[in-house]
Amino acid sequence: MTLRTRIAVTFSLLLAAVLAAALGAVSATNRGNAEREVQRQLDVGVSVFQRLLESNRRQLTQAAQAVASDYGFREAVATRDTDTLVSVLQNSGERIGAALVVLTSLNGDVIAASGLHVKAGTPFPVSSAQRSSLAGDGATSLMVDNGRIYQLVTVPVRSPLPVAWIAMAFELDQKAAHELADITGLAVTLAVNSDGRWTNVVTTLPAGATSQTDVVTRRIEMSKWGNSQAAAILSRSLADARAPFERLTKVLFLIAAISLVASAVAAFWLARNITRPLHDLTKAVDQMRSGTYDVALSVQRSDELGVLAEGLHLMQTAVQSRDQSIRRLAYEDTLTGLMNRTAFGAALSEALAVADAGPVAVAVINLDRFRRINEHLGYSVGDAVLTKMAARLAAVPSVHSAVARLAADQFAAFTRLKDAANLQSWGTSLVMALAEPVFVEAQPIDITATLGLALAAGGSASTDELMRCADLALEHARREKRALAVYEEAFKPAARDQLSLLGELRRAVEHDELRLFFQPKIELKTGRITGAEVLLRWQHPTRGLLSPVDFIPFAEQTGFIRRMTRWTLDHAIAQGAVWQRAGKPVGLAVNISADDIGDERFDTRVASMLTRHQMPPALLTLELTESGFIEDPTRALRMLDALAALGVSLSIDDFGTGYSSLSHLARMPVHEVKIDRSFVQGLESDPETEPVVRSAIDMGHGLGLKVVAEGIETEAAAARLRSFGCDIAQGYLYAKPMPLAAFEAWLEGKERVPVIAMPVDFKIEDLTDSVSLAIY
Amino acid sequence: MMTIVQRRRRIVAGVLAALCAHAASAGMVTVDVTTPSGAPARDTVVVFDPLDAAPPPSHDAAIIDQVSKRFVPRVSVVRTGTSIIFPNSDRIRHQVYSFSPAKTFTLKLYAGSPNTPVIFDHPGLVVLGCNIHDNMVAYVGVVDSPYYAKTTDAGTASLNLPAGRYRLRTWNPNALAAVPSQEIAVQAASLTVPVKIDVSSAPTAVGWPE
Ligand SMILES: [Cu+2]
Repeated sequence: MTLRTRIAVTFSLLLAAVLAAALGAVSATNRGNAEREVQRQLDVGVSVFQRLLESNRRQLTQAAQAVASDYGFREAVATRDTDTLVSVLQNSGERIGAALVVLTSLNGDVIAASGLHVKAGTPFPVSSAQRSSLAGDGATSLMVDNGRIYQLVTVPVRSPLPVAWIAMAFELDQKAAHELADITGLAVTLAVNSDGRWTNVVTTLPAGATSQTDVVTRRIEMSKWGNSQAAAILSRSLADARAPFERLTKVLFLIAAISLVASAVAAFWLARNITRPLHDLTKAVDQMRSGTYDVALSVQRSDELGVLAEGLHLMQTAVQSRDQSIRRLAYEDTLTGLMNRTAFGAALSEALAVADAGPVAVAVINLDRFRRINEHLGYSVGDAVLTKMAARLAAVPSVHSAVARLAADQFAAFTRLKDAANLQSWGTSLVMALAEPVFVEAQPIDITATLGLALAAGGSASTDELMRCADLALEHARREKRALAVYEEAFKPAARDQLSLLGELRRAVEHDELRLFFQPKIELKTGRITGAEVLLRWQHPTRGLLSPVDFIPFAEQTGFIRRMTRWTLDHAIAQGAVWQRAGKPVGLAVNISADDIGDERFDTRVASMLTRHQMPPALLTLELTESGFIEDPTRALRMLDALAALGVSLSIDDFGTGYSSLSHLARMPVHEVKIDRSFVQGLESDPETEPVVRSAIDMGHGLGLKVVAEGIETEAAAARLRSFGCDIAQGYLYAKPMPLAAFEAWLEGKERVPVIAMPVDFKIEDLTDSVSLAIY
Repeated sequence: MMTIVQRRRRIVAGVLAALCAHAASAGMVTVDVTTPSGAPARDTVVVFDPLDAAPPPSHDAAIIDQVSKRFVPRVSVVRTGTSIIFPNSDRIRHQVYSFSPAKTFTLKLYAGSPNTPVIFDHPGLVVLGCNIHDNMVAYVGVVDSPYYAKTTDAGTASLNLPAGRYRLRTWNPNALAAVPSQEIAVQAASLTVPVKIDVSSAPTAVGWPE
């Protein structure tokens, strides 16, 4: 049931109930009233009837007394002058209109009479009891004669004691009945019972109305007269009495019906007035729910509904703006105003969905070394740089393009090319756009970007796939240190291989499939053996002995490298401790990765291993590449400090290739640097390498560090490095990395190698496992 | 009101008095009139008609006054031939009349004392009325005998009668019936004669003994 119907019906029912109750009460009251009224009228009627008789009696009595007290009459009575008496009676009877005047003796014998058929000498039928009751001043009784009713008064004749009675009778005729009826408003019937049968003498009831059933009567029994009896019957029709009340009830019913209909209409109208705006509002709210916010809430009212509508309108506006800002947050990068990854993905897939509209090219752009801008110049400058870069990217004219910021320093763009051949030039235009220095607060900031490009030639490519291809291209470009790279199938790693590789690596660690190889480190000046670098090989059950390049990058990617480092350190330290206890201490250098530096508990792990195996920390050198502290230099520095505090030596690997600067190195607790093998090998072929190597060695020395050169294969290179002042050498010139037994054999009885060394090789048979040696 | 003991004592006294008066010429006769219920019947007329000798005619005079719309006295006994004067002591007028056969007369409406007395020259009962005031009723017993009396409030009447025989008549205006006359022999001794009379509350004026 709708609210409108409910209100209307409730109102109407309520009113109907009230009206019904009121009408019922009125009706019941009326009914009761009518009956009470009739009873009251009858009471009054009886009283009036009796008063009428009394009044008649008084009149008659006076008339009779006037006769009785006439001296002449008394004299006539005293002298029994019958003729005179009759004439007097006749005269007085005619004078007052009496039907009968009788003079009787005290015994009731008629002395003289006038009227009717009463004869002198006959007894007048007033009983002695009646007579004695009449003895006062004219008592009354009713007399029945010949079917008629008379009112009779009797007064004594005194001379001076009562000697006779005068009785006078007046007929209660139709006139008297009507008079009574007029006064009382009742129907008056006078009835006589003679011979046991009641006959109506007079009645004011209309003819034929006597059979009415709904009549209330009151019967007044009057005195007996001989064998006859008279009664007056007063009656009133209940229907007549009710008629005015019923008229009133009818009027009330009419009023009730009219007001019920009127109020029902009013209630319906009122309800509609309430519910129509409610309905409108509900509709508006429904539309808001479905995201349509521009529905007009047009309830122009000043009442509560108006307030509600106004409130809903405000809510609508608020929801709309919140919705927009949520959309912005969800799909927009707040800093640059570009799309975010989600929006970009959506836009890209939309673009991809359009088939044969030309190839879609995607570029993933990474700002090189952006972290350092944040670190050195502050985040506000970093943000400014990002904003400007974003603006530049957005300004690159492209066909149907979109630009997004994917991560901190990573952007992406896609465009629809006319031709796949245009890919390179689009990529170049993006690089060019970013190439110029950025001015922040009038300060030029040099920043370069690396791009990965991928092309969706057909409609087959998915968004994710395309993005991943671009990512791989970017990775490739960074690895190749090129500004941009276009994705090739070859970039895609054998995903399945990698997955199984992880499991195999795990197994390798658990089943001790890994092997430690040792490569001696030689002091260039003296040929003294200063120690060995510990290198890792994997004795794969099916693929044979694997070089670190085959699994270390993968281990680094998956984070498994930590486990492997722990394994390597544990075994290396254990071995070092063995040698230490044997009185032949060997300094061991172990490579650690950036991941290990990022491990907060790394120093305590190292310390506990040293303690456990009881190897002096001084015998341990940890080698790490610069990339190990590029990610989070502060944290890396803290770790290096902690490691240095253990008494462990630290060495920077691949010195010269990375981004390390003097200022960086100066702050680090590093003991040596290791010049990358590419420089060392370049010494032979590329004359331009020499100053680089030389300055690198000088730089290391300048910082008070030992300088290690690795990858030395020729005596010439060794001689050159020696002349440059390089401290320690490592390479095939002296020894390849060797398994434990071979290394121990090599080391046996040796404290130094000839300064002018000849390359020494070990026989393949020396290996306990059949391995193929690979170069690390 | 007399108790039975008192009355018995009185009767005894009356008998004793009658015995004592035997030698004397006259005797005291007391008539004690009571109603059947034993109540004294006052204003009862008591007449002793001497049977031995005829009484002499009388020319007495009597007065029946009208005071406060009443005849005073209400009951009178007079000898035949007595003239009665009806003065009017009220300030209103009265019209005295009688329709009694013993004396029928009417005195025209008057105030003060009328000029002429009315002579009651026939024995019998005369009922007087006032034509104006129906409640004014007086009774006059007209008798030949000089021996008559009216009972007091005690219902008794006492007379000194010469010895001899008498007819005792008694009448009361309220009597319901006539009381039979009785013969009384009076001697010197006192005598008490009890009489029973039945009365109603209203006057009846019946049973006047002739
Ligand atoms: Cu009078």
